[in-house]
Amino acid sequence: MTALDPIGLEILANALRSITDETFAALMKSAYSTNIKERHDHSTAIMDARGRLIAQAEQSLPIHIASMSGLMECLLARYGDDIEEGDIVIANDPHTAGGTHLPDINMAAPVFVEGRIVAWVCNIAHHADVGGMAPGSMAGGMSEIYQEGLRVPVVKLFHRGELQRELFDLVLLNVRLPNERRGDYFAQVAACNLGVRRMAETIEAYGADTVLAAFEDMLARTAGRMADAIRAIPDGTYRFEDVMDDDGIDTSDIPIVLTVEKKGGRASFDFSGTAPQVPGNINVTMNATVAAVTYTLKALLDPEVPNNQAVIDCVEISAPRGSLLNAVFPAPVAARAHTCQRIIDVVFGALAPAVPDRAPAAGNGANTTAVFSGIDPRTGEGYLYLETLGGGAGGWPGGHGKDGVQVGITNTSNLPVEAIETEYPLMVERYGLLEGSGGKGRFRGGRGLYRVVRPVGHDCLFNGAGERFSNAPWGLAGGEPGGRGRFALLDGSGAETPLEIKPSGVIVHEGEGLRVETPGAGGHGSPS
Amino acid sequence: MNRPEGGSWIVGVDVGGTFTDFSAVNDRTGETHVFKRPSTPDDPSRAILDGLREMAGACGIALDEVSRLAHGTTVATNALLQGRGGRVALVTTEGFRDLLEIGRQVRPHMYDFRRSFPAPPVPPERRFELAERMDAAGEPVRAPAEADIAAAVEAVRASGAEACAVCFLFAYLNGAHERALADALRAALPELHVSLSSEVQPEFREFERFSTTTVNAALQSVMDRYLGRLEEGLSAVAPRASLGINQSSGGLMSVARARNFPVRTALSGPAAGVVGAVHAARSAGFGDLVTLDMGGTSADMALIRGGEADIAYERAVAGFPIRLPQIDIATIGAGGGSIAWFDRDGLMKVGPQSAGADPGPACYGHGNTEPTVTDANLLLGRLSPRGLLDGGMRLDEGKARAAFEPVAARLGLSVERTAEGVLDIVAANMIRAIRTVSVERGHDPRGYVLAAFGGAGPLHARDVAAGIGMREILVPPAPGIVCAEGLLVSDLRETFTRSERIAVSRKAFPRIAAILEELEEQARLWFAGEPDAEGRRTEVSLDMRHVGQNFELAVALPERLDDLTDRFLDAHEFAYGFRNPEDPVEIVNLRLTAKARLYRAPQAELPPADGLPAPREHRLVRFAGRAFAETPVYDRAGLGAGSRIAGPAVIEQLDATAIVHPGDTTAVDTYGNLTIRIAA
Repeated sequence: MTALDPIGLEILANALRSITDETFAALMKSAYSTNIKERHDHSTAIMDARGRLIAQAEQSLPIHIASMSGLMECLLARYGDDIEEGDIVIANDPHTAGGTHLPDINMAAPVFVEGRIVAWVCNIAHHADVGGMAPGSMAGGMSEIYQEGLRVPVVKLFHRGELQRELFDLVLLNVRLPNERRGDYFAQVAACNLGVRRMAETIEAYGADTVLAAFEDMLARTAGRMADAIRAIPDGTYRFEDVMDDDGIDTSDIPIVLTVEKKGGRASFDFSGTAPQVPGNINVTMNATVAAVTYTLKALLDPEVPNNQAVIDCVEISAPRGSLLNAVFPAPVAARAHTCQRIIDVVFGALAPAVPDRAPAAGNGANTTAVFSGIDPRTGEGYLYLETLGGGAGGWPGGHGKDGVQVGITNTSNLPVEAIETEYPLMVERYGLLEGSGGKGRFRGGRGLYRVVRPVGHDCLFNGAGERFSNAPWGLAGGEPGGRGRFALLDGSGAETPLEIKPSGVIVHEGEGLRVETPGAGGHGSPS
Repeated sequence: MNRPEGGSWIVGVDVGGTFTDFSAVNDRTGETHVFKRPSTPDDPSRAILDGLREMAGACGIALDEVSRLAHGTTVATNALLQGRGGRVALVTTEGFRDLLEIGRQVRPHMYDFRRSFPAPPVPPERRFELAERMDAAGEPVRAPAEADIAAAVEAVRASGAEACAVCFLFAYLNGAHERALADALRAALPELHVSLSSEVQPEFREFERFSTTTVNAALQSVMDRYLGRLEEGLSAVAPRASLGINQSSGGLMSVARARNFPVRTALSGPAAGVVGAVHAARSAGFGDLVTLDMGGTSADMALIRGGEADIAYERAVAGFPIRLPQIDIATIGAGGGSIAWFDRDGLMKVGPQSAGADPGPACYGHGNTEPTVTDANLLLGRLSPRGLLDGGMRLDEGKARAAFEPVAARLGLSVERTAEGVLDIVAANMIRAIRTVSVERGHDPRGYVLAAFGGAGPLHARDVAAGIGMREILVPPAPGIVCAEGLLVSDLRETFTRSERIAVSRKAFPRIAAILEELEEQARLWFAGEPDAEGRRTEVSLDMRHVGQNFELAVALPERLDDLTDRFLDAHEFAYGFRNPEDPVEIVNLRLTAKARLYRAPQAELPPADGLPAPREHRLVRFAGRAFAETPVYDRAGLGAGSRIAGPAVIEQLDATAIVHPGDTTAVDTYGNLTIRIAA
């Protein structure tokens, strides 16, 4: 075994990034669904034999980090040594398999070199449907995870390279558009197989022991780098509180409370005081809370730090068991992204006094979701179109907040209007930036988006999920709050009927339209 | 075509940031000349016109015998980078004036919220809407009213714009509404440049099409002025020369086309180099290549299969997405001037920061004290202290050592081992980039030849090739001037595209045939306007996918349409590793590329070698894992055809240095190409 110096480590790290990027591209290109192909709602990574994250594709989504390490933890507990070459393990369940919500299908495959597992390759893709009560498996109004879709525990989809057909048939029978799902599963499998091949080549070239030692070295270096960044924050206790609008069922104004204790190179993030888990689907499992806090620290302290386990482990993060941010069975969690976005705002808010030169005001703090579904009158077949819309990004001391972008843990692109109208019997009537929705400030908050969609030649169903529709994104340092979002039904004359914050099963008749407005963001600094 | 007795001259001229390069060939005798002079960035045409005169004098070329000037220009690219585009207005479909600003609703960096994309080239106050609409089948839903068109024209006039981009939804299927507005704009404002999305890039996906069209509009006035000056000057200097402008797809277009579609030149810089390298490789008998064009600040890499470059369709220039056919090139910040540094976690990085040409590497002695790639090459003896341009600029080894010492001390390694590490990292960065254009596209590059050029390419080629598992390296005769040579041998090229979704079945064959006939007709008209071109040919490629996919694969038109689905499935299996014959397949775009060869001169042959010349010197060179060893240095000009050299050896020429590592061998072919074979 040779220990790699900082030159050799850089070259190995480069090779690992190359593998995660190649598998990311392979998954994207061979997937069937728009959500993956066009919106890149997927991630790929390399883990070590103990399930620690070693490298992640550059375009991976931060929320997926947590699912991958969650899956690995459950997988190792479930199977121990009972893993063979050619196995591919899948899972999605947030309560038993480390997931964060059911539509994210997790996959992991072991990399065997000379008869032992040296690493794992993982990927996650957000499937446009995983069954359950409502098309898209993301709708609000449900109170148990069973209603949200098919729960897949840690199971082997492939055993020694053989597809487990009975299992796969069971899975596909329980989801809408099984052909599209099959294509997405196979795209994930192809990415796993490619990753295993590439990793095995790399490990053989270096020798397994050298690679394992390098993994340790990389993690230690990243840990040191994060500790340095944390040490630079003034010691002290920092608190912040924000409020979620509602859970889509019966609970409104749900507090998230954070206390940060910072001393030397260590910091703890304690969410005690946060509301208990709620009946609606905005609950977050602990892994997703960790992902959101980790994201914020990296964004605030060191955006270029390599994404590995040491970033995840750099601070202590805790939330009361059974609370909104550490939800337990049978909490529904489909819309956990909204809450993760709010966690990010809360961490920014808490640390703003500590790093006043960098922290931004509140962003749109949401993952505004619009799902249209129905029967396409052109083909007689069912369709389902899911999109999450961006909004404003918070102003920060150095620049205006960006307009109409994804913020926080998500950075998925929109679907082109021409793709929407070509693929679905829908017409997009307007799509623009919402004037006045950016909070005033020395550095203005970003503006939200609006979009008007009409069904063509049929009646369609709309399910939506908004946040910051009642609690506006706050400003910082004298900056003003940004605008709130809303959903509204438009009748033939253009008259509007406001909808709930998380509407489900709304029929949009032919001739009517649906208007989505997403929140803006808070401004930074006094406007004058 | 009427050619003078003594033949006529074809000249390629490539304008770079520092130098303007010329390459001239006589189309009867095959006589060639190369020439270099400093660029004149304030008006690049001056260096071209002055350079032509200077070259004519130096090389004995009669300028009235120059029949064609093939020109690669960075005027458009620089205008974008420096934000010097013209004043543009946009007219778009009602309800979508912000679309250009929203883009794909993403931020440029997942974690760094401080970074932003550049603002679109049209500010909000010059973005206007027109009440009109096409549907997804290309059928008009609402035709624009005369009064609304008139109001839009007035708004554009009042905005004071020099150019107007007209960008309507679904115009790629039906451009009638765009044309209606364009007619009114041209009638009312004859000085206005107009760019239509249905002409600039008639393809699916509105943001990329609108962005490309708007950038085109921003460049129209800039390019128009530049080409006007160049044509005027050229009519005096070389009155018989017709001008061809290089485009990003690696072919030439007429001046008229370049005026209408200047955005096509925005990515043309590296394209000429690829064409030149392909040409050199063809003469050496190689068709499957990876090109490596490495200069002072960046390296461009492309994959060539069967003598043809892969074509990509999307890339950003200065942050603006541009979707157009372009050679699929990966560019990274790796060059001779790239600086070595330590990241916060102590890992060593090289680039993308570069010391550039000024102040340049530490060994230039112009004030930079940070260690660069060129300094590393000097410290290892790979580069001569006599420096580039053969003694024209000496390199200071002491300054290079001084720059490396602190870095080596921090690593606890020797200066030499550190310098090797810097070269290893820069090679790893290039290897990763090559993987993005090869394995990430489904091609295994291991059987390919690495064509290395640019000032620094031949120095690093061996590390890159070996790291990928390639066995052969090709160094063209004049590595520093491959771009200008590429211009000389570039085809005239034009791509005609029809964007239409067609489900592939026997029922659809008549429709496919009808579209192809229309595209052929467009090509015939285009050929008619290019009377000098020979060897006319067309190629058809179809962008295909499974229904429901949103990512297309280019499939060459098979002889029998019955084979179309199979060809697509083959391509899909190749690229993605699986095949789903039961899933329906559709066509999204049909592209017909028309190519025509300009007269191509016979290639000059090198006289056979009269034995191996004596080395010009021996110097100490260090190779991986070895001590410094006395290594022979040959002057490439003295190597005749058939010369063979076993490594270790250094082969120097005016603007490049090639390294033959221990165990490797190299041979010079009839056309002066150097082929290095890596020891197994």
